[in-house]
Amino acid sequence: MIDEEQVKALVGTVFPGGTITIEAWEHRLMCDTLLVEPPADGTAHPFYAYQATRAGMGLDLDEMFALCLADPDDGGMFGEHEAELDRPLRVGETYAVRGSITDVERKQGRTAGTFDMITFRLELLDDRGRRVATARNKWIFPRRES
Amino acid sequence: MDVAVGDEIPAWVVAAVSVEKMKIFSALIRDPNPIHIDAAAVQRLGLGDREINQGPISMGYLYNMLGDWLGGVHHVTRLSVRFGANVYAGDEVVATGTVTAVEDLGGRRVATCDVRLEVVGGATAMTGSAVVTLP
Repeated sequence: MIDEEQVKALVGTVFPGGTITIEAWEHRLMCDTLLVEPPADGTAHPFYAYQATRAGMGLDLDEMFALCLADPDDGGMFGEHEAELDRPLRVGETYAVRGSITDVERKQGRTAGTFDMITFRLELLDDRGRRVATARNKWIFPRRES
Repeated sequence: MDVAVGDEIPAWVVAAVSVEKMKIFSALIRDPNPIHIDAAAVQRLGLGDREINQGPISMGYLYNMLGDWLGGVHHVTRLSVRFGANVYAGDEVVATGTVTAVEDLGGRRVATCDVRLEVVGGATAMTGSAVVTLP
């Protein structure tokens, strides 16, 4: 099993980050999966506080699992999410994404066994560098006996 | 908008969660996890016998409930959720909420709400809270 100290050393790791544009076509399809029409006023569905930070953090899902010392086949999953929107996101806008790992907790579940809960904090910034949204995501990574 | 502590937010119902939406979502976010697109993979992993809805899609249902209530999803300023039971293709799910606080913040009326997503005839898929600006 991965050593707990090795996982705790991930706290402070800064993600590569990048930029993300909320494209109208993609937003329309994303809203379709959420079973709603896109807002008529040009604002983006607030679900993008999650989606834009995830897509713009500079890691794909496989790379994110690798960073967290996890194998996707071990069943890592999304555990908790918190989004704060300072102002509505807008379709067509480009946002910078920055973030880091802020916490690691090793836990023992009755049925899940040992797992690590790793917290990401990610921000979306507009073209003037103002924070527009913050996402805090807790991912659960089961740790198998090797 | 007249809102008081204890008010129930009108429920938002999905009659049958669609595997086609899961597939579109997987393609959009380039998620290779087969549990969202392949029932056989779900069976192999011992997680059930139908595709499992992506957590972020289920989270979207809570935003939609709040948006329908308030006249737009842009009124939601915070959403905090904890994921519980899986939501499967074909499940009927219901998003509900209750107002727990109403206050004046710098000239804006703001409500805090408990929110949850339940699988009809099944378990609680998601619980959490939201903060909204009242129109």
